[in-house]
Amino acid sequence: MLGIWIGKLILWVLRLGGRDATSLPGKVALRISPGLIRHFGRQVKQVIAVTGTNGKTTTTSLLASMVAEREPVVTNHKGANLAQGIATAFLRSSSWTGRLRTITAVLEIDEATLPAVASDLPIGVLVVTNVFRDQLDRYGELDGTLAKLLDGIRKTQATLVLNGDDPLCRYLGLRSARNAVYYGMSRETARSPRREQMRDGQFCLMCGRPLRYDGFWYGQLGLYACEGCDFVRPHPAFQGALEGGFLRFAEEGLPALLLDLPVSGLYNAYNVLAAASAARAIGLPAEAIHAGLRAYQPPEGRMQRFYLEAPVTLHLIKNPTGCDSVLDTVVSDGRHKVLVIGINDLAADGRDVSWLWDADFELLAEDPRLTSVVTTGLRAHDMALRLKYAGLLEAKIRVEPDLGAALHEGLSQSSSTGAVMHALVTYTLLHPAARWLSERRDEHASQGPLYRTSVS
Amino acid sequence: MRRKALCIAHLYPELLNLYADRGNIAVLQRRLEWRGFEVEVVRVTHSETPQFSRYHLVLLGGGSDREQAIVAEKLRACAPEFRSAVQNGLPVLAICGGYQLLGEYYQLPSGEKVPGLGLVDMVTEARPDAPRLIGNIAVWSEEVGVIVGFENHGGRTRHGHRPLGRVLHGHGNDGVSGQEGLRHLNIWGTYVHGPLLPKNPALADAVLRDALGYAHLPEQLEPLNDRLEQEARTAFVSLRMEDVAPMLRTEAELR
Ligand SMILES: [Zn+2]
Repeated sequence: MLGIWIGKLILWVLRLGGRDATSLPGKVALRISPGLIRHFGRQVKQVIAVTGTNGKTTTTSLLASMVAEREPVVTNHKGANLAQGIATAFLRSSSWTGRLRTITAVLEIDEATLPAVASDLPIGVLVVTNVFRDQLDRYGELDGTLAKLLDGIRKTQATLVLNGDDPLCRYLGLRSARNAVYYGMSRETARSPRREQMRDGQFCLMCGRPLRYDGFWYGQLGLYACEGCDFVRPHPAFQGALEGGFLRFAEEGLPALLLDLPVSGLYNAYNVLAAASAARAIGLPAEAIHAGLRAYQPPEGRMQRFYLEAPVTLHLIKNPTGCDSVLDTVVSDGRHKVLVIGINDLAADGRDVSWLWDADFELLAEDPRLTSVVTTGLRAHDMALRLKYAGLLEAKIRVEPDLGAALHEGLSQSSSTGAVMHALVTYTLLHPAARWLSERRDEHASQGPLYRTSVS
Repeated sequence: MRRKALCIAHLYPELLNLYADRGNIAVLQRRLEWRGFEVEVVRVTHSETPQFSRYHLVLLGGGSDREQAIVAEKLRACAPEFRSAVQNGLPVLAICGGYQLLGEYYQLPSGEKVPGLGLVDMVTEARPDAPRLIGNIAVWSEEVGVIVGFENHGGRTRHGHRPLGRVLHGHGNDGVSGQEGLRHLNIWGTYVHGPLLPKNPALADAVLRDALGYAHLPEQLEPLNDRLEQEARTAFVSLRMEDVAPMLRTEAELR
């Protein structure tokens, strides 16, 4: 196939230039050879796919890391989850003639892309992490996302590994007529909701009556039961419980495993639980699960830390539920802090920024240790307005649309007041922010000794 | 003597929650509180019956087709009370799906007609072959100037009343008439969200003035420091709708 050869060529040229492309080679190759994914799909023996709204990148990387303990795998990194990203992943592992050296692929697949590629890939196991409100302009409304997922699932013969705590995942399991296994947190660890939050699963999708909740984990994940029919949270085959810095992972009839949590937060505990459940579903032993977790490197923006003049933590925010869990983390940091919040409205961020008003920025107004906030990005002004109406004093808000200048401002404010800095940014600002902070770190490290002389 | 509180009802926030109407409520509430008014916000959920005689302003937001059909059914059950309050001047701010609900019916792409409340002479149809009308939008209103925001709707709306304004950029009611929204009695209907009010403080104040008048409270609203709001409008227009910038300048000169 000509497409393969051209795609490999682009990969090779980009690599010579020191760049690691995740989409472009696949994009061009698919334009020349539209059957490319099917061509690769025929050569692999098994594809394990991960889809859902939040956590698919982390879950995919964790799972790929576990499988890689036993055999080499094809996987798409850094969230390149559209058809071109999947094609690029295969191109990277294939020979110039289009032969694959691996027989297993662990792929992250975007919800809207799933129906388009599902029949071309031998998907044996499909993980759905959760279904939250994401980007309305890309998918229309929530019902549209569920319909796309169902459509995609029905084009496979996959065993589904589903988040049983999510009523929308449960609906997929019931409606798809596929074999499904559920994972979930253990019942005792659910909590009552702290404040009124938006939830997508408030009504039963089977009969339309309200869902009753006996407890929540976050968003609509919880102990739900329909008031009108027998739609109820299934008893999970794989159960997780947070214990200290570990996740206790229990499966009926087997001894429980105490798993490392390479990334913190409840939100990520769900990702570890999803990956471990899928690993069990394909028969991986405990050693591979443990070793995979230890080998895992958290990617950019999943609470990445930088030690500069002041300690900086970089977070990705992209929808209300994910953003709320980041805000929880930020306000529970007991130190004085300066925030930089960057909002872009490009296609990959979502062109409609109304979701900012569904996220709980009111939490920041209640945090007495928050010194100031610098807003940045294309929609810096919208973010500033959001904070004003959340109840933050206008004097604490600064608008600086240029990302570099905003990070600089935030850093000098935090270092001069002895505060830490948290940077919260949307998708297209993540790589530029990480690059700016790493360059700053390198400069900082090279100047380090100059500062230290005065200490002795 | 303490003044009575202005009562704002947010109808079915758990069903009509697609476009961050929480933001509209926050703006209405804060802009009254900053001026020393007492405000009561009532969240009316699906298990409760609205008490239209208590409210001074009603906000109806947008939901998915399924949730909108549930709301239509709920509201039809109390349509007579709603209608007579509106005839007496109860202000209603209806956005996107909530706006569509005010009319005779909403026709789904399948051809099925969901009956509306019939508060206004209006119909909305979503044809299966027609694309959704999505994108940034700006509207010129004689009453409040330039209104900016985002629109995302499949339905095309036609009505026999005054529009809210003239489309400067984007699609509006049906993508062809050049009209956006509806003004009738104290009803403000529109497809503009984003949410609607934070970047349109003049519109927020106009709606509040209607509500204060209806509540027999002083309608005088002291000016607020809207620096961030004005900067956000200007930045949004110059970034995403450069063609609207001259109109924004004209408006600033008039102010
Ligand atoms: Zn039910």
